[in-house]
Amino acid sequence: MATFFGEVLSVYSRAVEEDDDDLDDENEDERIHREIEEKREVHIVWCPEVAQSLEDSGSNKLQCSDLIIAVGTNAAGFLSAYVLNTESWDAVGHVSLWNERSRGSSRQSIAPLPGEPACLFYRHRDNPAVLVCQSTCYIAEDQLFQWTEKVFGCLQKRGLSVMVLSDSPVAEYKTPDYLYGSAVPFLRSLKSSASKGQALCPALEQPNILTGLPAAVLSHCQVHQIPAVLYQCYTDVISPDSITMETFKPALLCLSKLVKLEPCLSADVLRKFAIITEAQSNLYT
Amino acid sequence: MAARYDRAITVFSPDGHLFQVEYAQEAVKKGSTAVGIRGKDIVVLGVEKKSVAKLQEERTVRKICTLDDHVCMAFAGLTADARIVINRARVECQSHRLTVEDPVTVEYITRHIATLKQRYTQSNGRRPFGISALIVGFDCDGTPRLYQTDPSGTYHAWKANAIGRSAKTVREFLEKNYTDEAIATDNESIKLAIKALLEVVQSGGKNIELAVIRRNQPLKLLESKEIETLVTEIEKEKEDEAEKKKQKKST
Repeated sequence: MATFFGEVLSVYSRAVEEDDDDLDDENEDERIHREIEEKREVHIVWCPEVAQSLEDSGSNKLQCSDLIIAVGTNAAGFLSAYVLNTESWDAVGHVSLWNERSRGSSRQSIAPLPGEPACLFYRHRDNPAVLVCQSTCYIAEDQLFQWTEKVFGCLQKRGLSVMVLSDSPVAEYKTPDYLYGSAVPFLRSLKSSASKGQALCPALEQPNILTGLPAAVLSHCQVHQIPAVLYQCYTDVISPDSITMETFKPALLCLSKLVKLEPCLSADVLRKFAIITEAQSNLYT
Repeated sequence: MAARYDRAITVFSPDGHLFQVEYAQEAVKKGSTAVGIRGKDIVVLGVEKKSVAKLQEERTVRKICTLDDHVCMAFAGLTADARIVINRARVECQSHRLTVEDPVTVEYITRHIATLKQRYTQSNGRRPFGISALIVGFDCDGTPRLYQTDPSGTYHAWKANAIGRSAKTVREFLEKNYTDEAIATDNESIKLAIKALLEVVQSGGKNIELAVIRRNQPLKLLESKEIETLVTEIEKEKEDEAEKKKQKKST
């Protein structure tokens, strides 16, 4: 939709596919609502071993001491490059959902292809209580609550500690001072009140807010008194970029206590996850 | 507040900002650094070379271009916008020669470019040019000149200036080091430009491109060998300085 001043707003179409003509209008509305709800439902698909252990545990919950969630391409790339690059991680599940921007596969059982935007779970072989979740697909506002409830519903609350990594454009960062180019990218943190430790970077200043999946997860942790800390990276590059990924390095300190990490990272590995835009982009000289 | 006033170029915000123009200046910061130095008998333009793709012809990625025999410019920002501005400036230079039978003064062509840029900050439906330019040259009377323009259409004369990424660092270096001794000879002025760029360019001399105009001579692009020689000279001078300081400390 184009507005008067030339800006373009994207508005999602509310048109619904019409099925057969029904004489009773109310039933038809209900049916349409139900169909939309079913279509937008969030499903977690676990691998057989995990599904089995969920059944075996009486409460249908997984033992989990640490959950690390990465939201966004740079945060996910950072985890892929620094944490998931060793062989000791197993893919144990994925979240299947549909919305206007994330048209996931219509059959839940098909795992997403590598490189596709998706929401994947990994578990460490030596320390199965450590779960990593990489979320690169868009989750609509109405699906966030479901996502959080279903994911946390599978995990035991006691002893759980959560870390969220997310990235955001620096254009969304509101500050009274002018941000010089050298300061970007940078990290800001937010914690739930149950979280006792010291965050590794300054707290997110007002009036900045979090939105989307990181906000839903942190709200859930706050309500259920789960210690959670979130690191948000503000960056000026729109594609996955190695410098932005490196900004998350302070989080490695916490992660190295849980799992053994690769001591030094070759530049090739990082480059694999970052899209090289420099040479091809002739936009700026 | 910015969100409602930054979509259309012709709209002032309540506190007097033209956000599109200010955002255009941000686009300039995405281009690589360019530095200009006005010496006594020479003007120097130095730029940080952009990394070229393997299959790309290097000589088509140029940040320094001639506008006329005695005027040239370096730009930082959107490549395509620069091409348009350069073409218009070149046409204006020739048109001036034919009409007035005199080559343009550096100030005239700078004013022409700046007026063009300003026009685009005041019409609807068009965005400002996202480039800043450093225009150097000699006037007929032999005076060396250096001007800088920015997306808002302002222009000023400078003794030395930098534009693009890390321009602030380079400008601070120049403020400390631009002295009469530093520009006493042509060679010294060139070395000052290289020193200024080395502050912000990673991987040294091979990523620097340098152009000079001497009085009554056309633009000359320095060869990479010459630049390497100068860089080695500069590094040797730095080492000698450090040695002297160490000796002073120990005595």
